[in-house]
Amino acid sequence: MNRFPEQKPNRYDALVILVVLALALLCAARFWLAPTDGAAEVVVRADGAEIDRLPLADAERTYQNNGYTLRIAVTAESVRVTQADCPTQDCVHTGRISRQGQSIVCLPARIVITVEGTGAAPYDAIAG
Amino acid sequence: MRFTTKQLTLCALLAALALALSYVEGMFPAPLPLPGVKLGLANIVTLFALCALGAPYALAILLVRVLLGAMFAGNASALLYSLLGGLAALGVMALLVRAKRLSVYGVSIGGAAAHQCGQVAAAIVTLGSLAPLAYLPALLVVSVFTGALTGFVTGMLLGNRFLKNVAE
Repeated sequence: MNRFPEQKPNRYDALVILVVLALALLCAARFWLAPTDGAAEVVVRADGAEIDRLPLADAERTYQNNGYTLRIAVTAESVRVTQADCPTQDCVHTGRISRQGQSIVCLPARIVITVEGTGAAPYDAIAG
Repeated sequence: MRFTTKQLTLCALLAALALALSYVEGMFPAPLPLPGVKLGLANIVTLFALCALGAPYALAILLVRVLLGAMFAGNASALLYSLLGGLAALGVMALLVRAKRLSVYGVSIGGAAAHQCGQVAAAIVTLGSLAPLAYLPALLVVSVFTGALTGFVTGMLLGNRFLKNVAE
């Protein structure tokens, strides 16, 4: 029953680290290599369903979902969440996003704000 | 699975410890402004239980910790995150321990990385969008460091003669 692993790191541990980093790289490549497609626009999804779509131009919007409220500010270059009433504030801390394929995720409100090309989306929405 | 009184007591103690650790962890500000970045202190208990007691006991401790943790936090939606994260971490660590070649560091790092994958999977399911995948690269890189740290602590615990005697 008792299998005590060694306490000194060995070269097999390095293999685990390499695998983890390779996985990270693979996952990151998906976003770096996402094709840009036409003009960028902001797409807002709540619970996976699109609720708003607006061009990158000065605007402020407020969204409510799952009992939480988000306020976003859009400029000609970027979009950010300016205010959220969730406890973690992760979406506010994400800051500005501007490149196509980038997104801001608010887990409590279940809202995803993505910058997308006006053509095809860099990834498909999937059913929960 | 049969519990002797000693094993039951030990499991209950470890579950309480894991619960306390995840609570204490929540009192510190996250080291990075990324959702899901934590030291993963409760994983120390999971890995210790896995090595010292065995996978079924570690699973029991994990389930108690996750369920009570969600109940104390009054946050049912966090349950899916910690459940998927915890189960993924335990599953991967059980496999890696079985491989016998890895030290406690490799096992712990594998578990930490699996925990992040599980949490991102939970986020993908709740949001119905693949957007949370964008956080995974950074979370995986962080998990190498947090996994090494918790591996170091677990190694010290496993090397402790008193704890070894208690567990046997």
